[in-house]
Amino acid sequence: MAPSIDYHCPCLASSPAPPPPHLPSSSYSFHPLHELFFCEECDAVRCNRCVSVEVSGYYCPNCLFEVPSASVRAEKNRCARNCFMCPNCRNTLSVVPSDPPDMDDGRGSTAALNAVGEPPFFLYCNHCRWDSAEVDITFEKPTGLAAQLQKHEDSAPDSLEFERLKEHFEPFLRASSSSALAGPTPASHSHHAHVNPITAAASSALARDIPGVAKYAPHPRGRRDKGPRDEMSEYRSRVEVGGTSAMGEADVDFMRRIEEESEVAAVEQRWANSWATSLRTSDLKPLRIPLHSKKSKRCPTCRHILIKPEQKAQSVRFKIKLVAANYLPSMTVALPRPLDIVRRGARPPADDPSGTPGLHAGSTYPFQIALTNPLYDPIQVRLSVQRQIPPAVSAAAAAAATEGGATEKSRRPPFAVSLPSSAFPIAAFAEAWEYEDDEDMFGVDGDEFGLESRDGRETQGKAKSKTVGVLEKRANVTIVGGEVVIGKDARGEVKFNMLVSYTYRSDDALPEDEVRGTPSRTSKAPEMKTFSFSTAVNLGPVVPREENRMDTD
Amino acid sequence: MSVPATPRKPSHAASVAATPATSRAANAHVVQASPHYQTTRRHSLYGTEDRVVIDPGSRVWKVGFSGEGRPRDVFSVGSLWGLRRAAEATERDEEDRVLEARLQAYLRDVFHDSLLTDPKSRKVIIVEHPLLPLYVKEMLAKILFGNLQAPSISFASSHLLALLSVGRITGLVLDCGNLESTVLPIFASRPLYPQLRTTPLAGARFTAHLCALLLLFGTYLPPPTSLSAAANIPVATRSMRVPQEVLTEAVLEEIKTRCSFVGEPLDPSSDMRVMSPSGGDDSMEIDLPPSDTAPSESDFSRVSADLESNVESQPASSGFSIVSRSQIAPERPTRGEGHLQALASMYTRHSTATDLHIKVVPPVAQQAGTGKGTLIIPGWIRERAAEVLFEGGDVDESSVAETVLDSLLKVPVDLRKTLASSILVIGGTAMLPGFIPRLHAELLRAIASSPSSAARPPMRPDRPRPPAYDRYAVLRPLVPHFAILNNPSPPAQPTGARGSANAGKAPAFTPAAMAWVGGSLAGSLKTGGAEVPREKWDEAEAQQDPDDSANFNIDLTHHATPNVIPDWTRSPLPIGAPPANPPPPIPEASPRAAVGA
Repeated sequence: MAPSIDYHCPCLASSPAPPPPHLPSSSYSFHPLHELFFCEECDAVRCNRCVSVEVSGYYCPNCLFEVPSASVRAEKNRCARNCFMCPNCRNTLSVVPSDPPDMDDGRGSTAALNAVGEPPFFLYCNHCRWDSAEVDITFEKPTGLAAQLQKHEDSAPDSLEFERLKEHFEPFLRASSSSALAGPTPASHSHHAHVNPITAAASSALARDIPGVAKYAPHPRGRRDKGPRDEMSEYRSRVEVGGTSAMGEADVDFMRRIEEESEVAAVEQRWANSWATSLRTSDLKPLRIPLHSKKSKRCPTCRHILIKPEQKAQSVRFKIKLVAANYLPSMTVALPRPLDIVRRGARPPADDPSGTPGLHAGSTYPFQIALTNPLYDPIQVRLSVQRQIPPAVSAAAAAAATEGGATEKSRRPPFAVSLPSSAFPIAAFAEAWEYEDDEDMFGVDGDEFGLESRDGRETQGKAKSKTVGVLEKRANVTIVGGEVVIGKDARGEVKFNMLVSYTYRSDDALPEDEVRGTPSRTSKAPEMKTFSFSTAVNLGPVVPREENRMDTD
Repeated sequence: MSVPATPRKPSHAASVAATPATSRAANAHVVQASPHYQTTRRHSLYGTEDRVVIDPGSRVWKVGFSGEGRPRDVFSVGSLWGLRRAAEATERDEEDRVLEARLQAYLRDVFHDSLLTDPKSRKVIIVEHPLLPLYVKEMLAKILFGNLQAPSISFASSHLLALLSVGRITGLVLDCGNLESTVLPIFASRPLYPQLRTTPLAGARFTAHLCALLLLFGTYLPPPTSLSAAANIPVATRSMRVPQEVLTEAVLEEIKTRCSFVGEPLDPSSDMRVMSPSGGDDSMEIDLPPSDTAPSESDFSRVSADLESNVESQPASSGFSIVSRSQIAPERPTRGEGHLQALASMYTRHSTATDLHIKVVPPVAQQAGTGKGTLIIPGWIRERAAEVLFEGGDVDESSVAETVLDSLLKVPVDLRKTLASSILVIGGTAMLPGFIPRLHAELLRAIASSPSSAARPPMRPDRPRPPAYDRYAVLRPLVPHFAILNNPSPPAQPTGARGSANAGKAPAFTPAAMAWVGGSLAGSLKTGGAEVPREKWDEAEAQQDPDDSANFNIDLTHHATPNVIPDWTRSPLPIGAPPANPPPPIPEASPRAAVGA
């Protein structure tokens, strides 16, 4: 797996500190940058797990027809035109005419064919060659197929039975709820607006005539006396399960005799049916294509719109788009693989199919982080590794299985990361044509970054091997180097949390930023602001020492 | 579509045609492109009063709108929670965090992808299994109220809702799901929770058993190493024992849902079951000394046993250890190997089910060949893997039929006849073809046969032998009344049997969907369980917040929320029912927390 950096959204956790990255649950808190939004009002990152989603339009993904919301519900979120899916392979079905009638008269086909083909039309799958004639679905005309199928769906046994059930229960509930309302005061019942069957049955049971005992509440109207309310009349099913062919011995018999697994429809193809249906694959019906929706998303706290697509189904643009990639520096991490890095004599084993050799326990690796500034102003960035504050939390589940000494060690990550500790600048984003000459865009020579990283403790890092520190600056990209020292008995993945703070000048370029109060102002200039966010850097799995190398694959 | 049913009953169809639903349907395509809109009369244009009905199982979720006859979407969620939680606090917290994140993702999908609706405008009905763990329930509420801002949630008992879907409010409901089979008697729409009985013999156990059987008795053909080799090398020499890696969860699920069914009980089963390998005619073939067949040949012989039907296969002891875990032969662990073999040969002789070949992805280590490997499933495994659900005799894990009877034993005597004649079977495992008729047969068998003498306490020499403990003796008079409402092939009626006339009279909804359909029905009837509005939740949250900041204890939140979410384990006992021992005002709470659902 390639090294990656994911950005933290604090919506899942109660505390602002990011969860330790080695916990499985932490993967739900970190997201790739392109999935994140940024709320200007709250000055915070928002992710797809916390934004509130509103549907701003429905469309069919096949015919791109925009379905008015009034009919969406009626059509059960399905396309009501000519779009159908193959029940076997989910491919889109096409409408084909039947073969032209036999040319016995010898006059050739030209005269007999009309423009659209011969009338019994059916649906045909171009992928698996399924066709709807197999299940006796044919059409008179090649348009408005859904409407033609509608009559079948309207008489679906499940919906008819459902209506019948409703009619069965309604008088019972009405009787019991009205007798409940005849109680002492209406006010006391106001919170029982929804009479559930339990209270309904209970109240009617209480109101039952018991021989020799007077009724506890007089009935104002006589109509309620016409039958025992607590005893429901027997429900007579429209279609009794004992009478249907499905699910009975016939199914057992069929199952006993199948020769191929594919004769039986997969459970996914059957389980949306609430009605007993045939098990056979050959009885599957074409499916109407489910609609998709265009969604606009809002910040969960301030309700401002973060993203809003254009209404038209064909358009892929957005009216409002506050994505985090426009606010936060985007970062990529890479492990350079120069040949001289291979310090240990062992060649990188070929067990990694991706070609990137793993990190070996007990060695030191440099890595590079490229930061790209999306803002129109230069920013100052400071990186720091976030240590896990409570070590007790980090007792990994796997480590608990091993002996006590191992658990002690696993509390702290088995690797150490060094990053440039001083702030470094990233130039402002500019369109490509704004660069006057090539140096601006493509190059800074070694001296320049030497100048940049001269201050503070950076010198010792530079003196070592020039792996830690600012390595390269061009246009709005700055590449910094870091180094990871992996412990001798490390295993698992090299994953650590990195806190990124950047300082930017909030001038007229982003006027709304003045309103918010959250970011702490830096002391340098009154209009400088700092924003911090956490990331999880994953450098990839550690290849353990030799004895364990076999079971890593 | 049960199209054949409609012409069969013209009188019904005619009467239904009087409802607006179908009369509209007649001229549907003439009027508008959206005809079945009017099938439900009460909908407003946008249908906002329709509630969202969610049936969240530990494996499969069914979601949809109330007032509709089928769920809009059904999807698999892997396996969200199990019967046990981690013992250690930090581990459990971590588990909970993962679970909550996954629940949140699925719930968001329900609204945003499956239903395409705004969660803020829809009331929600959660179809709640009575043993749904409280922490899961609270998580669901927290996500729905917090993250999705649902206006209100109702929790309704799945068993009760399933009864509604067959037009009744009284019955004994068996839910045979993935983790547990749970029986709950319901009378006049009141669930009798104290009489609830449960057993872990359910879908997950079935899968484990299926896996064990396949490891022992299945055959695997690795893909041929080259395309030409396929024709040259006979199948028998390629065949081998099933590698465990081949039986992935997806493959097992596939076999379970597409290949398995439940055969009827074997007639002489009572003595066949306990038959020792050294007795009976079966022993003739199985008592071959194991050394006869060399291990290298055993694979070959197992396959050719199908062809020549005389060569006996040799079970591996390693395989047996897996099987014994899945309780195939708990009563005979010592000679289990031979016993297993006896079982297998017995089932093979009595099963006419075809062997199936399915294509599976070969394990990583053996992927040298071309294409996919082949897994051969003996027909008897397809038919008899479900025996594990009906193997009784274990005190802790009674069979499904015994669980039903145990629950029946606990209900008041007056209700027994009524409940016995209205048994309803729901749940995904009950979708196995033949499950319900088999259950009926097993119920009768369990009542008829008193427990074997082995269960009797050892006799003391100075006392006369005590009368055999006959557990279900009191239920025996009820036998003619036993009826499973949704039995697809009800037994032939002896004339005059009153109660059992109910059998097979339920509408033909599938067992798996019944709880959801009932939820939809309850929603469209404007009823349903106790409703929690969001304001109430927010209030409770607000009260709880100061506590939270004061002492940073996560357990506190578990104690602070309960009053908001209604749950039967927390409801006070009626005054007239004194608990047997002082502490258990919530006697079911602790087993529930431990067992989970």
